[in-house]
Amino acid sequence: MDEFQEILQDFLVESFELVEKLDEDLVELESNPEDLELLNGIFRVAHTVKGASSFLNFDVLTHLTHHMEDVLNKARHGELVITPDIMDVILESVDLMKTLLEKIRDTSEDSGIDVSACVARLDKVSGGTGEVQTPVSDAPIEQESVVEEELTEDEDEPDYENMDPDEIEAEIERLLQQRQEEDKAKREAKIAAGESVPAPPPSPDEVAQEQEEPKEEVEAESKPVPLTPTPAPVKKEEPVKSDVKAAAPAKRAPAAVEQTIRVDVKRLDHLMNLIGELVLAKNRLIKINDDVEERYEGEEFLEELNQVVSIVSLVTTDLQIAVMKTRMLPIGKVFNKFPRMIRDLSRELDKKIELVISGEETELDKSIVEEIGDPLVHIIRNSCDHGIEMPDERLAKGKPETGTISLKAYNEGNAIVIQIDDDGKGLDVDMLKNKSLEKGIITEKEADTMSDKEAFGLIFKPGFSTAAAVTNVSGRGVGMDVVKTNIEKLNGIIDIESELGVGTSLKLKIPLTLAIIQALLVGVQEEHYAIPLASVLETVRISRDEIYTVENRSVMRLRDEVLSLVHIGDIFEVERILDSSEHAYVVVLGLGASKLGLIVDSLVGQEEIVIKSLGDYLKGIEGVAGATIRGDGGVTLIVDVVALMQMAKGVKSTAMTDNASQEEHSHEKTKADDYTVMIVDDSKTDRMIMRKALEPLGINLVEASDGQEALNILKQGEHNFDAMLIDIEMPRMDGYTLANEIKKYNRYKNLPLIAVTSRTGKSDRMRGVESGMVEYITKPYSGDYLSSVVQRNINFKSEFL
Amino acid sequence: MSDKLKQIIDKQSEQQNLAIEHSDDIVQLVGFIIGEEEYAVPILTIQEIIKPIRWTRVPQTPAYVLGVFNLRGSVIPLIDLRLKFGLGAKKHNEETRFFVLKQGGEVAGFVIDRLTMAIRIKKSDIGPAPDTMAGDDSMIDGVGKQDDRILTILKVNKLLERDF
Repeated sequence: MDEFQEILQDFLVESFELVEKLDEDLVELESNPEDLELLNGIFRVAHTVKGASSFLNFDVLTHLTHHMEDVLNKARHGELVITPDIMDVILESVDLMKTLLEKIRDTSEDSGIDVSACVARLDKVSGGTGEVQTPVSDAPIEQESVVEEELTEDEDEPDYENMDPDEIEAEIERLLQQRQEEDKAKREAKIAAGESVPAPPPSPDEVAQEQEEPKEEVEAESKPVPLTPTPAPVKKEEPVKSDVKAAAPAKRAPAAVEQTIRVDVKRLDHLMNLIGELVLAKNRLIKINDDVEERYEGEEFLEELNQVVSIVSLVTTDLQIAVMKTRMLPIGKVFNKFPRMIRDLSRELDKKIELVISGEETELDKSIVEEIGDPLVHIIRNSCDHGIEMPDERLAKGKPETGTISLKAYNEGNAIVIQIDDDGKGLDVDMLKNKSLEKGIITEKEADTMSDKEAFGLIFKPGFSTAAAVTNVSGRGVGMDVVKTNIEKLNGIIDIESELGVGTSLKLKIPLTLAIIQALLVGVQEEHYAIPLASVLETVRISRDEIYTVENRSVMRLRDEVLSLVHIGDIFEVERILDSSEHAYVVVLGLGASKLGLIVDSLVGQEEIVIKSLGDYLKGIEGVAGATIRGDGGVTLIVDVVALMQMAKGVKSTAMTDNASQEEHSHEKTKADDYTVMIVDDSKTDRMIMRKALEPLGINLVEASDGQEALNILKQGEHNFDAMLIDIEMPRMDGYTLANEIKKYNRYKNLPLIAVTSRTGKSDRMRGVESGMVEYITKPYSGDYLSSVVQRNINFKSEFL
Repeated sequence: MSDKLKQIIDKQSEQQNLAIEHSDDIVQLVGFIIGEEEYAVPILTIQEIIKPIRWTRVPQTPAYVLGVFNLRGSVIPLIDLRLKFGLGAKKHNEETRFFVLKQGGEVAGFVIDRLTMAIRIKKSDIGPAPDTMAGDDSMIDGVGKQDDRILTILKVNKLLERDF
């Protein structure tokens, strides 16, 4: 069974490839009906599929291809001229063939699809001669001879790979039977003559030999060959069968020297995963190298390390590109089904349309090639149906009668651009808006403020359709919505340009690969997030005054556009502990046809990241596309830009609005215990002394035993501190470092830090000032002195006492 | 001398046989403490036990999902069992461990307060979960009694099941 499955897989792969080629050839044939070379090629495809399918017992498929073959054979011999009508029938049968193949792929059988109507039409085309109706078994014999004539030039042996294997078997069986009878007769004759005959069973080799050269046997048939009358050879047909199968591709190989090998996609995926790990390790190595460089500046071994690191990183990058390339397929694989589609559509719509394809050799990752097909079908259908006008209309407008749709692909940086242009009537902005209003997709207000570009984007809204009537081709208002979803899934960007009466141009910009991507790392509070660079249009630094609030939503003006803004912290529920500064960074995200400004606290940089899944337990978290491991070993979440844009609609942006109230709150002091001071000292006694000195003021005191703890307390944000008393020498984090850390947070920029230390040296004082300490109290000190310094620094009003 | 040796060898093999005979009736568990209670999971479901490392918060999840962490290149979710069992959060200390449990294709890390020990317990000493707690939704597989201790044996597949 497994062997059968394997053969079946090979058959399917081969057949799909052949059929794909067939479509292309047939359309070309229609324009060059005289091209014998082309006809022969097409005939051979039908023939090969027929042969293989009968071998695998797909009767329906065999039946169909057999009749196709008949028609094509007639055409090949000049008995039939290919007219568009005949071509319609042939194309129909090719379609049917594809359906059958798909059925076989999904269910391993081809029953349940009715081909009789199509077969009848094929028969009609081939002249209704009786022979088409003849059963499969004898027709191929005529075919066989034809093929042989054809191929004898390049092959001495008859072309058995094209021979119907069933037939071979039947033939062998027939021959065996015949011979056995002859043998028997002969033996009887011999026995009658009194001789005993040894009866050696034939070796499998011999049987194989017979298989390979049945023709000779037919000639040799009359010669008596000693053979046992046992059915053994027939039983051996199993291995023989596979022999024939193995022989077939081998024979074909020399004809076109095979420069490629077929590799299981799983293996490539695995390779890609390994490379991913390597990229992560490389990132880590670079980070370590930087650290080491900082620490051992000027050491000799550094240069050597540097060299190794750069070689490793260079090779990793090359390796990654090389493996990526093995997964690449030319986009022509998708493009080549369109000539046929355009042909069908133009006949159906009574329009004259020409398709110009360029850049079909441009390569894309396999997974993307698979996803891109559907959107392109919808776009091209749309162009044919809505874009290109009827021929008379075109002539009236002074355009050539035949409309042109051009489909081209090209590389642009780390992305591939697929551009679909038509010279049709273009998009009418007013019409788009009116239609959308009618269908309730937008409100009147939105319509008024909408730019032309945004209006073009309306065609991607679900439920939208500009077609006056629903036709077979389009108008149900689902197609373009599919385009948008699929392109967004690939992190692609759609750009539409259109001029009324002149044409429409659609650009799809898609990243080259999906597994390893370039990302922009952004920071919000203490967290980092990675945004796929493909979705980032630009980043801008703005000040708070540039943010406006319109209907509870933050917006900003970006050149001549109004960009809605959302804070990444609002989307990802980041606790706003530390204040954001006067300035903010806006990452302008572009996806499909829409844009959004994402406010972040900081931009960290650009990095190559490997997408890892969050696993089943955490899958489907809104706004998170996956995770990646950074150079420092930490995990960073990757933003799902599609989901983020959806989420942004629901978030009432609080971007930079909440801190005003906070400040007010902290400024209003009406009684002593509105004040809070933190004491940071590792010695419990010292903390006690300070507490004793400050307690009489009636203010709140919070204690921390070292810098780290103090910082954690600050981060928790439970208290609004008015000052901090900091010891310099402490375990884990000393006073200077603590002061430096605190000053990094905007909210605490103006928090008075008072050093309380036994270090009295001048340089110590200097360091204190450098790290942002405002006062320097040396131990020992009097309680009153400490109290007065604190009072001064927190603006303590004496009336509270 | 050789007799003695023989005796010892015999004794050893006897013991081995005994162990093999009884292995069917014995369940091996690893016990740990969350809050005041001792819990246990089958030893074979434990991929590893590590000291706390850095993790990254994941938004839109319940509080008990602390986030994800990097375990030698794999991104693994981290679940705080204290929070999951309705206890208050506690600062991680020297005894806190991450329990990495694996069943089927599912892997997740669980924060526990303290490890106790590996436990061999007879099947007959494991009783069913209390009626009020039993059922398919319950996380409790059974209750083990050993000496004066009571162990709550947890269903690993339930722990690894996403319930939000």
